[in-house]
Amino acid sequence: MRDCVAFLLAGGMGSRLNILAKTRAKPAVPFGGNYRIIDFTLSNIMHSGIDQVGILTQYQPYSLMQHIRSGEAWDFIGRSRSARILPPSTGINASDWYRGTADAVAQNLNFAKRFNARQVLVLSGDHIYHMDYRPMMRFHKKRKADITVAMMHVPWRDTKHFGIATVDRDQRILDWQEKPDLAKNNLASMGVYVIEMKYLERVLQNAKGFDFGKNIIHDAVINDRVFAYPFDGYWADVGTLRAFWNSNMDILRRDSGLNLCQWHVRTNLDDEGHVADRLPTRFGKNAQIKNSLISFGCFVDGQVIHSILSPGVRIEKGARVIDSVIMHDVVVKQKAQLTEVIADKRAYFGAQSEIGVGEASQPNEKFPKHIFTGLTVIGKAAQIPAMTKLYRNTIIEPFCGKDVIAAQGLHVGSYVKQRRVKNAVPLTENNFS
Amino acid sequence: MKKTLAMVLAGGRVEELSVITLFRPKAAVPFAGLYRVIDFPLSNLMNSGIDRIGILSQYRSDSLINHIGSGAAWDMIGSFRGISMLPPMKGTRSSDWYKGTADAVYQNMEFISNYDPDYVLVLSGDHVYHMDYKKLIKFHESVNADLTLAFVKVPKKGAERFGQAIIEDDSREGGRILRYAEKPSRFISPWASMTIYLFSRQALNFVMDEMMKPPETKHFGNDIFPVLLDKKRVYGYKFHSPWAYTRTIDEYWQANMDLLKDNPTFEIENWNVRTNLENKHILDRTPSLFGPNSLVQQSLIHHGCRIDGIVKHSILFPGVHIEEGAVVENSILMFNTIVKKGAKLTQVLSDMRVVFGENSHVGVGELAGTNIEYPNLLNTGITLVGKGTHIPANLEAGKNCIIYPNKRETDFPKTKMENGRTFK
Repeated sequence: MRDCVAFLLAGGMGSRLNILAKTRAKPAVPFGGNYRIIDFTLSNIMHSGIDQVGILTQYQPYSLMQHIRSGEAWDFIGRSRSARILPPSTGINASDWYRGTADAVAQNLNFAKRFNARQVLVLSGDHIYHMDYRPMMRFHKKRKADITVAMMHVPWRDTKHFGIATVDRDQRILDWQEKPDLAKNNLASMGVYVIEMKYLERVLQNAKGFDFGKNIIHDAVINDRVFAYPFDGYWADVGTLRAFWNSNMDILRRDSGLNLCQWHVRTNLDDEGHVADRLPTRFGKNAQIKNSLISFGCFVDGQVIHSILSPGVRIEKGARVIDSVIMHDVVVKQKAQLTEVIADKRAYFGAQSEIGVGEASQPNEKFPKHIFTGLTVIGKAAQIPAMTKLYRNTIIEPFCGKDVIAAQGLHVGSYVKQRRVKNAVPLTENNFS
Repeated sequence: MKKTLAMVLAGGRVEELSVITLFRPKAAVPFAGLYRVIDFPLSNLMNSGIDRIGILSQYRSDSLINHIGSGAAWDMIGSFRGISMLPPMKGTRSSDWYKGTADAVYQNMEFISNYDPDYVLVLSGDHVYHMDYKKLIKFHESVNADLTLAFVKVPKKGAERFGQAIIEDDSREGGRILRYAEKPSRFISPWASMTIYLFSRQALNFVMDEMMKPPETKHFGNDIFPVLLDKKRVYGYKFHSPWAYTRTIDEYWQANMDLLKDNPTFEIENWNVRTNLENKHILDRTPSLFGPNSLVQQSLIHHGCRIDGIVKHSILFPGVHIEEGAVVENSILMFNTIVKKGAKLTQVLSDMRVVFGENSHVGVGELAGTNIEYPNLLNTGITLVGKGTHIPANLEAGKNCIIYPNKRETDFPKTKMENGRTFK
């Protein structure tokens, strides 16, 4: 589709993903073993035959840039295809940080103009779904719409997190509520917009605010042709730790609608500097695997039940991992027990450590709104000493050493901080992957 | 470092590998659940900093061409790096099939001259090993050699399959070659040629200008080396690490199964081996899914597999599906093999895209005898299934059987194959 350019918004902090998004932008958070969240949208763009994509970054862009590189992994290569990173910049037209989604697009409109785009597809980089954007483009053109918003029905209790529309028979949006306390409908925006280029130019010049949902769409509904394109497939906003965990577990449920095998999601396997191939996963004599997704390059000699393992994970003899999401190169030593854990890359669990112990009787002490359902979250490269018990709703910050954790009085909902050393070496680029 | 050009010999089929090499040269045979054999020499070259390569291909070169792709998998890309496929061609000087190793190089001397290297490293693409060619080059320079051959120590039994050399001086590194014989019927030395030849440019030019008399001169081992010993400084470099020849089904089998040991002989994880992840769409596959009733032990499994049955002591390449109630033991299943419900496989080596029908039993029963048609080739109980064959439901096939590629369910005359039978 030569007349359409995609803008992929990938600058969000994802603060509710807590320590997972501390050293990386939310779209770069690992998901489903060897993917990152942004892979799902990038693969959708690729499968929809869109040749030009601009990726708007702002917060912690290093791991994202490392991941996207030339865009070759998604076939954005050749003289008329490309994936460009569009960071905020100072200059004549663009002089500031992105103040919102619409502002980010406004500052990069030249990118779309360069390719003579007639429509602009605005996407978010932090959702898990599989969608062909072409039928939506046809829907948009057929209705001569100014803006088309992809929308789906959500449970009524979730309406407060979304833009909510009321539509007429022809799917024209009559009323728009942005994250309402009292929703009139349960038709929710997926953050996928097709916008006429000429319309967009005009509207961005006169915009009163910086956000698509809050300002642009909200105002457009009153005067312009705004339509809702119905979508009924699997779609998940993995913006919270529980949603992130749930969506990972949906991979293991055959009827969840999240079907990795059919979605043909692509990722960039070279992005971590491990450009040499990892070996097939080695299963030892004592391995017991049930209902799990296991990437290559692992060594498994323990029990893995209803869990997701990224490449390079080591599960030693007698160790047991249940209901957990374990990221790259995590080590679980002998007889360690992990239940409902999200472990970021290179975390280390000492022998006979027990993680996720007891009941979720109280939420996390520092982030009660992020962690309260019983998950335990271990930051990147944190070292859990042998024999240690970590109770539910605990958060361990990235790079916490054994001595730091050992010195804590641990309880349900503990929050363990990385010790700040005077004159500490600042985080390097290597830490951002 | 001086300019080195590598010429990789990847044209041979190797008949002993039976149905596995019907459609591909030995160099393109899948290995270790992910790789092709040629990945090992190519990765060695990459790790040794040699990044200009010609690949001499002849037998069924399409699978090799697919696998090499642009060469980017081994970083052999850019203005001064690259892999060139050199299939046989017609032309003024070169007008025929490659008749041997020396002839293949001879026919590509123009390619070599164009690059104008100081050294030409001729090596086989058929072997699994980890070697730093820089050390070989250093040795070559330190003894001021014109030609250096690499050797590895092999047992007397089976040594008749190799070029053998008596190497002067007991130094650990190697020494001047006193005598060389290609595949001698009488054992002369345990030092077997690894088919790695490092020529100084002048020495190669000398060989090609003075010694080649096509079409009689064909092989370096037979026709060149025994004579060259007296004319040039020819040295033997001793290699002291594991090397897999994998020229027979049994050797191939052993080298693969060795990887399942707790301490494998071939420590591939430390070798920095790369393969082309775009070939067979390895890149696009999901991590492997294990169902609620799966049991997997002592096995190697890469991406894209779906396991609902039992897998023990086996190697599964990407895309293998093991359905519920199926049992796979001591087997190697290549890309996209499907094992249907209730099927039972023991000691099976199956090529790509084979389907084992429901409740089929392959390789089961007591081991007795050999393959009747190829007794020397297949006698340890392994049953071979060729690419794309569809084994019918309920088929019972014994040990040492060979089932040829692309057979349809309806092609099978009976539902039982006794031990040692071949189905063509």
